[in-house]
Amino acid sequence: MAGDHLTSQPAQVQLEAYCRDLAARLRGPRRRREQILIELRDGLHHAVTDRITHGLTETEAAHAAIAEFGTPDAVADAFAGELGTAYARRTIALFVLTGPLVGIWWLLLLQPHPWRTGLVALLVAIPVIPLLPIAVATAAAALATTGRLIRWLPESSPRQALTATIAIAGAVLLADLTVLAVYAGSNMPTQPLAALAITASLLRITCSIITLRHATATRHNLSATSTEGPV
Amino acid sequence: MLPMRPELLKGHLDALLLAVVEGGPQHGYAVIEALRSGSGGALDLPTGTVYPALHRLERAGLIRSDWETVGGRRRRAYHLTPSGRAALGEQRAIWEQFSTAVTAVLGRRPWPAIT
Repeated sequence: MAGDHLTSQPAQVQLEAYCRDLAARLRGPRRRREQILIELRDGLHHAVTDRITHGLTETEAAHAAIAEFGTPDAVADAFAGELGTAYARRTIALFVLTGPLVGIWWLLLLQPHPWRTGLVALLVAIPVIPLLPIAVATAAAALATTGRLIRWLPESSPRQALTATIAIAGAVLLADLTVLAVYAGSNMPTQPLAALAITASLLRITCSIITLRHATATRHNLSATSTEGPV
Repeated sequence: MLPMRPELLKGHLDALLLAVVEGGPQHGYAVIEALRSGSGGALDLPTGTVYPALHRLERAGLIRSDWETVGGRRRRAYHLTPSGRAALGEQRAIWEQFSTAVTAVLGRRPWPAIT
């Protein structure tokens, strides 16, 4: 390979087939998967170039580079932990960021003046409020122990991060179902605010169910491949 | 030199990777090559170990990556951050203490047999 591109078609076909197989096996946020594939493709290119420099043909070099990188299954398993953690962090951050966008409508609908009525009346009107600090604390702990603070804090494994994601999605699902039940059981007149709050909760229930299913499956797959972090 | 088993590196891979990128930006495969050549072939780590470990170091803020285009191909290059430099200094001090202690014990000659 004199330049930056392989001239042998069989070698190109081998590398493309390898990258395609690997792409089909990676599970996680799409952008992260794309970045991994671009990076590994570049790495493969270097590995092939090195071998051609040492006298192999392009086809032999492509074969040897693929053997060095490992089977698509092995490489996908190796990235499963990082991708699982990336999924957990992104999902938890989305729950935290969108939480107030749902909660505000229910607060305005069920208890528009909480500072006048006091905490007890607020808890009676919106009984899921105690779940809020629990979910926020779980989210904060998961983000802190999988991010930059791992230099000082004990690092969460990908399974632990996914467990936190499942717990938060479960708490959010329970909260949304409860406020919907509270509203359905009340005699409040129908109003536009209720439509907003119900729509927001129904959307979030859908997201929570998808998250519960996906995070549980990812955690299960991680247990099967035992990728609990780096060497 | 025979390649070292990856499990023997448990707890030291972070420091090794930080040390490799300390000299300047490196892409993933160059890091693997640097570990291999710098150790005389003893640290011949699999791709599946090095790339995810680099991603984890970036998540921890110890290295940073930039994308560049070289010869029409996109490449990710890793740089050491100030936090990474500090962590590498700590890891070096820990390793020196550890290796001195282990060498002091393993390097001893066997006690003479009592006759």
